[in-house]
Amino acid sequence: MKGLLSMRIPLGSELMTTVRLTTGGVCALKGLDIDASEDCKVCVTESLLLLRHAGYGEAAVDFSDDDGLMVAIEGAGRRKKASPAPEDEISAALLEALAESVRMEKKEGAIFSVSFRFAL
Amino acid sequence: MEERELFERYKQTGDVALRNQIVEKYLYIAAVIAKKFVGRGVEYDDLYQVAALALIKGVDRYDVDKGIKFSTFITPTVTGEIKNYFRDRSRLVHLPRKVAELRTAIKKATEELTRETGRTPTARELAARLHVSEEEIVQSAEAGTTVSLDRPMEEGEGSFYDVLATGAESDFEKFENRDAMRDALSTLSEAERTLVRLRFGEELSQVETAKRMNVSQMYISRLERKVLLKLKETMQGGTAQ
Repeated sequence: MKGLLSMRIPLGSELMTTVRLTTGGVCALKGLDIDASEDCKVCVTESLLLLRHAGYGEAAVDFSDDDGLMVAIEGAGRRKKASPAPEDEISAALLEALAESVRMEKKEGAIFSVSFRFAL
Repeated sequence: MEERELFERYKQTGDVALRNQIVEKYLYIAAVIAKKFVGRGVEYDDLYQVAALALIKGVDRYDVDKGIKFSTFITPTVTGEIKNYFRDRSRLVHLPRKVAELRTAIKKATEELTRETGRTPTARELAARLHVSEEEIVQSAEAGTTVSLDRPMEEGEGSFYDVLATGAESDFEKFENRDAMRDALSTLSEAERTLVRLRFGEELSQVETAKRMNVSQMYISRLERKVLLKLKETMQGGTAQ
């Protein structure tokens, strides 16, 4: 697996557009088609929302080359009290529906990391 | 009423009022998912409608005894329907931007002129208002009309389909294309070849193909895109040589 791009970002709403644009750029670099790129953007946003609801203030996002695009997102920084939202379940199901090899790891009952893959 | 009880009662009675109660309770899921797909060239209202219809269909298919929550069950269903909608839309012929803009301007000018004169404007009046030729007005009006291939041309003159060019190939071209296709198919994996056989040989739908191959429809959709791209590239490579 070859690393493409790593970034650590605060989980504020104002940075979501930046993350989506970056994701779109990486998808284009990997040659994913428009539909898959849009799906990937949705998956990244949903993962970040899940981590924010799990109480994380920051996230580490890693894009790597794995016969397609592998995305791994992990909660980072100081963790506050989790505030699960009713939509979390939908976010998780949406990830499963859009991406391949989806893995969600939990720590103390809350989501700690999400990874998924988009095939070329 | 709890989720389980609601679905069990609906399953037993088939009461439409109960079904509507379930749909209303979970309509927020359709709204949430539709919002995730905004910005891809389709209005939110259209996406919401597609999502809501998928939700209604999903209520009948949900089996409460399988032990998964309805929201978990319905999300992939609704997502799949929205993606199908995008795929079907992308197959439509897109109007050139200039024509699409002119059509919008014509609509606006028609409303204005109707208000001003109290009657529907003529093509000449519209052309004068928009500083374009009458021909452009007529062509733009035609451009947005979808015509069925089965629509009769004139009384007793057959359909549009009958007069479409056949794109007849010479025997040599047929032979060459078959040869190129055989080479291109040999570059595919076993699963990819199975997909080609089922989708384009047996002409099964994506859902039927998915069932036969024991995978999800989403997987078939992705694999199909990949296969078509691969075949195109291989055949273009062959042509270039």
